[in-house]
Amino acid sequence: MTWRPTALNLSLLALAGWALFLGVLAGRADLIVVAVPPLVALVMGRRVSRPPALRADHAVSADRLVEDERVTVAVTLWADQAGLVEVLEPLPPGVRLESGGNHAFFLLPQGRPVRWEYTVRCAGRRRVRFGGLHVRRWGPLGLVATEGWTRPWRPVAVYPRLAPLKHLPRPLRTQTFVGNYVSPAQGEGIEPGDIRPFVPGDQVRHVNWRATLRLGALHVTQHHRERNADVVLLLDTLSEVGPSGETVVDAAARGATALAAAYLARKDRVGLIEYGGQLRWVRPGAGPAQFQRLADALLDASVVFTYVTRDLELIPRRVLPPQALVLALSPLLDARFVRAATDLAARGFDLVVIAVSPVAPARAAARPGRVTDVAARLWALERRAALDDLRRRGLTIVEWDGVAPLDTALATLRRPRLRRVLAG
Amino acid sequence: MMRLVAAALLLAAAAFPFAVYPAAPVTWLVLAALLAGGAGVALLSGPLVTAGGALALIAHAVALLIARAAIDPVGATTLGVTLTLLLLLVHFAGRVDGAVLGPGVLISQVRDWLVVAGVGVVAAGVLTAGGAALAGGLGGVTVPVMIAAAVLGAALTAAGVAALVAAREDPMSGR
Repeated sequence: MTWRPTALNLSLLALAGWALFLGVLAGRADLIVVAVPPLVALVMGRRVSRPPALRADHAVSADRLVEDERVTVAVTLWADQAGLVEVLEPLPPGVRLESGGNHAFFLLPQGRPVRWEYTVRCAGRRRVRFGGLHVRRWGPLGLVATEGWTRPWRPVAVYPRLAPLKHLPRPLRTQTFVGNYVSPAQGEGIEPGDIRPFVPGDQVRHVNWRATLRLGALHVTQHHRERNADVVLLLDTLSEVGPSGETVVDAAARGATALAAAYLARKDRVGLIEYGGQLRWVRPGAGPAQFQRLADALLDASVVFTYVTRDLELIPRRVLPPQALVLALSPLLDARFVRAATDLAARGFDLVVIAVSPVAPARAAARPGRVTDVAARLWALERRAALDDLRRRGLTIVEWDGVAPLDTALATLRRPRLRRVLAG
Repeated sequence: MMRLVAAALLLAAAAFPFAVYPAAPVTWLVLAALLAGGAGVALLSGPLVTAGGALALIAHAVALLIARAAIDPVGATTLGVTLTLLLLLVHFAGRVDGAVLGPGVLISQVRDWLVVAGVGVVAAGVLTAGGAALAGGLGGVTVPVMIAAAVLGAALTAAGVAALVAAREDPMSGR
């Protein structure tokens, strides 16, 4: 760090120069006297010693947040010389100042720390990386300054806010682990099933006394097992529309996070496939750790442009189990994703497509006006026709505008009950 | 608050030529100085305030020439201090505009400015006294000295204007 002269030098020089020039031109000594105070300021302001050593420490109140949550940023500064210090921390996109200021001036005492705090609100799903601290030490009167900056700090993860979901699509097939779904298979459980004659080995508590009295022989009630299911979230990151932070991918990721949380709460195993320029996945798993893995993967989900079409057949069976319920979240804008979804349905996967409407985000990004309104309405009509066509081709599609609660959209979905599917 | 103080300093600087010669050419120059300086104060722009200060100085020189006023070292010192404080204040206000000010920052700046003003007054007084003492003895050699001073003033002005025009934008100013 070295001292550099500031623009104030030039202002004072110009003023002193004019005073001297006019004094000589007019032949008046009192105009030359006018030049003395600015020249004195110039001399006094340049009396500086070596540049000071500055140290900055940065702390954020939380490194994992939910969107629209507030976080307090605390900066501690030390210097080996007393003086005026200016600090600026540029705010990353999507971060709004809530209280305090990210630009401050301090009179730093020698060897003693000064703590500075401000609060920001983080909007939208993203990893927020505070852009490093710019520190400027001002010399006397602001005539010289020295600058330095620190590297960006550790990122803060801002997760989507979880919306409660009550109307989750029921999986048509269950797995082998204990869960919340009534399985068609008979066994230990609390859901009563068929009645059959008693055979040695049956437990007495399963005897159906009403049927026994009516039929004159011992009969027992069979029960259905409660099992869990595998759910795979298929996120389309091939295309996106909308303003930054409110794109269809953001809406889809927000929905996927809510779905993951809801299914994991039902003891299901949930996995994720990000179908885009990068084909990334998270193997199905259960529990809070799995939710964290999914939330982190969804946080990084973004559009990576590519012409390459990746086939879902490349995905290992352990990532996309044949018995899994596949929930595809997509704006259905890219033909490659539509083809992949149709292919999955044709291969017998239990597939539900949650079609995130791109119309509203595109409208928000466009200039408002009558033409935009008409174009949006035409696009919505075209889209409805395209979705109807896909439904006729056997896809189960739920329309979601990305703004209204996802639960409202899912409530419109009618799915056959598990036992009826197996019976049919 | 800092804008108000700067506006008061600008008005004070503009009042000097008026006090000497409150008539036509000076009025226009003072008006131009107030416009440029006022814009600088409103926008907290150092270059505009410098231009306003320079125009006020030119107006003062014109007023002194037209009115053939007597030499007034006290008035000149006051004008110099006023213009210097105006520049220091506007530059500082421009830097801190929109920023959080820690405790004691403003007080320390005011203290520094007052010290500069005090030293400026003393230096101007010493220069005036020295000039008055030397005036009698060195009356015959004033022409080359004045030519040298004129060359210095012109060079400083040219350098100042060139550097003001070429001044790079402050990355931390936020504007």
